[in-house]
Amino acid sequence: MPTRLPLQLLRYALVLGAVAITLIPTLWMASMAFKPIPEWTASGAALRWWPENPTLDNFRFIFGGSTSELLVSLDRTAWRPILASLLASTFGTLLAMVCGTAAAYAVSRFRAGGNLPLSLIQLRIFPPMAVLIPVMIMWTFLDLTDTWYGLALIYGIVTLPFAFWLMKTFFDEMPREIEEAALVEGCSRLRVFLKITFPMMLAPFASSALFVFILNWSDYLIALLLTTKDWVTIPVYMASLSSSMTGQLYGAKAALGLIAALPPVILGIAIQRYLVRGLTFGALKQ
Amino acid sequence: MTPEAMTPEAMTAKAAMSDPLPASARRSHTPPESPLEAEGRRLGFLMALPTQLLLVFIVVFPLLMQLYISLTAWTPLYGQNWTQAWQSWNWFENYAEVMQDGRFWSALWRTFLVIIVCVPAQFLLGLGLAILFVENFPGKRVFYSVLLTPMMVVPAVAGYMFFMLFQSGGPINGILSDLTGLNVTTAWLSDPSLALAAVMIADIWQWTPLMFLILLAGLIGVPEDQLKAATLLGASWWQRFRTIMLPRIRTVIVIALVIRTVEIFKIFDNLYIMTGGGPGVSTETISVYIYKVTLQNLEWSYVATVALIILVSLSVVTAFGLKLMDRR
Repeated sequence: MPTRLPLQLLRYALVLGAVAITLIPTLWMASMAFKPIPEWTASGAALRWWPENPTLDNFRFIFGGSTSELLVSLDRTAWRPILASLLASTFGTLLAMVCGTAAAYAVSRFRAGGNLPLSLIQLRIFPPMAVLIPVMIMWTFLDLTDTWYGLALIYGIVTLPFAFWLMKTFFDEMPREIEEAALVEGCSRLRVFLKITFPMMLAPFASSALFVFILNWSDYLIALLLTTKDWVTIPVYMASLSSSMTGQLYGAKAALGLIAALPPVILGIAIQRYLVRGLTFGALKQ
Repeated sequence: MTPEAMTPEAMTAKAAMSDPLPASARRSHTPPESPLEAEGRRLGFLMALPTQLLLVFIVVFPLLMQLYISLTAWTPLYGQNWTQAWQSWNWFENYAEVMQDGRFWSALWRTFLVIIVCVPAQFLLGLGLAILFVENFPGKRVFYSVLLTPMMVVPAVAGYMFFMLFQSGGPINGILSDLTGLNVTTAWLSDPSLALAAVMIADIWQWTPLMFLILLAGLIGVPEDQLKAATLLGASWWQRFRTIMLPRIRTVIVIALVIRTVEIFKIFDNLYIMTGGGPGVSTETISVYIYKVTLQNLEWSYVATVALIILVSLSVVTAFGLKLMDRR
């Protein structure tokens, strides 16, 4: 259906408008990350979309702890929170993917697990806030508070529903003839899964893992509750970056925000194909 | 007697006649489980086990603990272990208190207000964008990727972006000043009547792409030949949309709306970074309320009660909803 020219132009106008609105907040933060201190709060006529004197000071400040421009220095630099985010998200993803994949295979092939699929959806619907008190007590009791593995454990559980449902749709779609042929050959069921099914599922598995990683990396609330000092993650650390002497450290926070925002955006574009499936629990496959 | 007219009793009687064995013995008539099936059952059980255990660990145990604590006046303030909470047993006092807690109810109402505004806004904007993207046009793929980026931004970081944008000397006022020619210096986030609007705008910015993504996936699935046939028959765009597209994507719409409603009910990260629930309690949603009461007042038995009430109500609603969806 060829669209008439005025309509085509209208489409471009609307799409470009949406693109502008989409990009402005991110660009403002990116621009702020390279602004020197005097430009942080410049307002009114002095408001600039681009840094007039671009600088890397903000990055030096969060990684080095101090700059010549600012009187304050940080007692903790961004390295440790970045490590915390990486460790907790990676191992949380690993836990969710291993348990979720195994359970998805069990449900898809052997109809095991009973109510498991629906229970996992309910787990996703519950607000984390609503089990906050028991989880805080349990984590203290198990000595998991303020550790990267304690955080990884809860991340793994929280994202388990996504791992399970994603992998289940992939297993459901996979033709069974190959597995059946191997069974006829005398392979054990476990061997069939490990040597035939799983290797065929590597690409979907990797995409699902990236999806789950993005979710874990994006967490703020859980880390806010379960870490206090040593293993705070990037968002928690970022929120704590302000001092009574300078007020908001706009540029430093923006630099950190940029670092936090980049990995999910890049990974998200890489797995675009699976986003619909992941976000709708496999109800839509596109 | 025709088969249609048979009563259930008659059918049972007939079945019993043709099958002289008693019911218990009949069960063994089903073919015995093959070794392969038995192996599958065992493996299935073992593979589902870790997930089952994690669910028990995070759902059953915490719920029981929560129920127990909610019936007491326990607080961690005096160093007493939660297992000793029975010493301050007070039956349903906490529950009675929740019913009269104005701050709780207004937080709940505010949460619904955010849902009522944001979900339809995100839906309509997302649907509009999706309609623009149904047909091919040059640059479509790039624009598509760009439009999806907001939902991949860490919500806490998105909260910080909008915190900067809504400063009184920030770029939003800058743009408004340029457009109106006046010097706009609205303090969005410290104005109780505007702060919630700012939070809503941030949420709409971040999550409209999700609606767009899901609805576009639905629209692309609409068979093209039907649309072409309708066009040939002289159907206008609106008629095609209403009679062919809309019915085909009804399920997709429901899924998208449900996902956003559930997620906004939990709203915390972006909101808390932007306003911290303030000024005062003017942007306090249910999650922020629970967080603040937990950390500031340390009335943990009371928080447990609030949390349990929310969990139970949500369970009822979702169990009902899932059943409805299942029947479809």
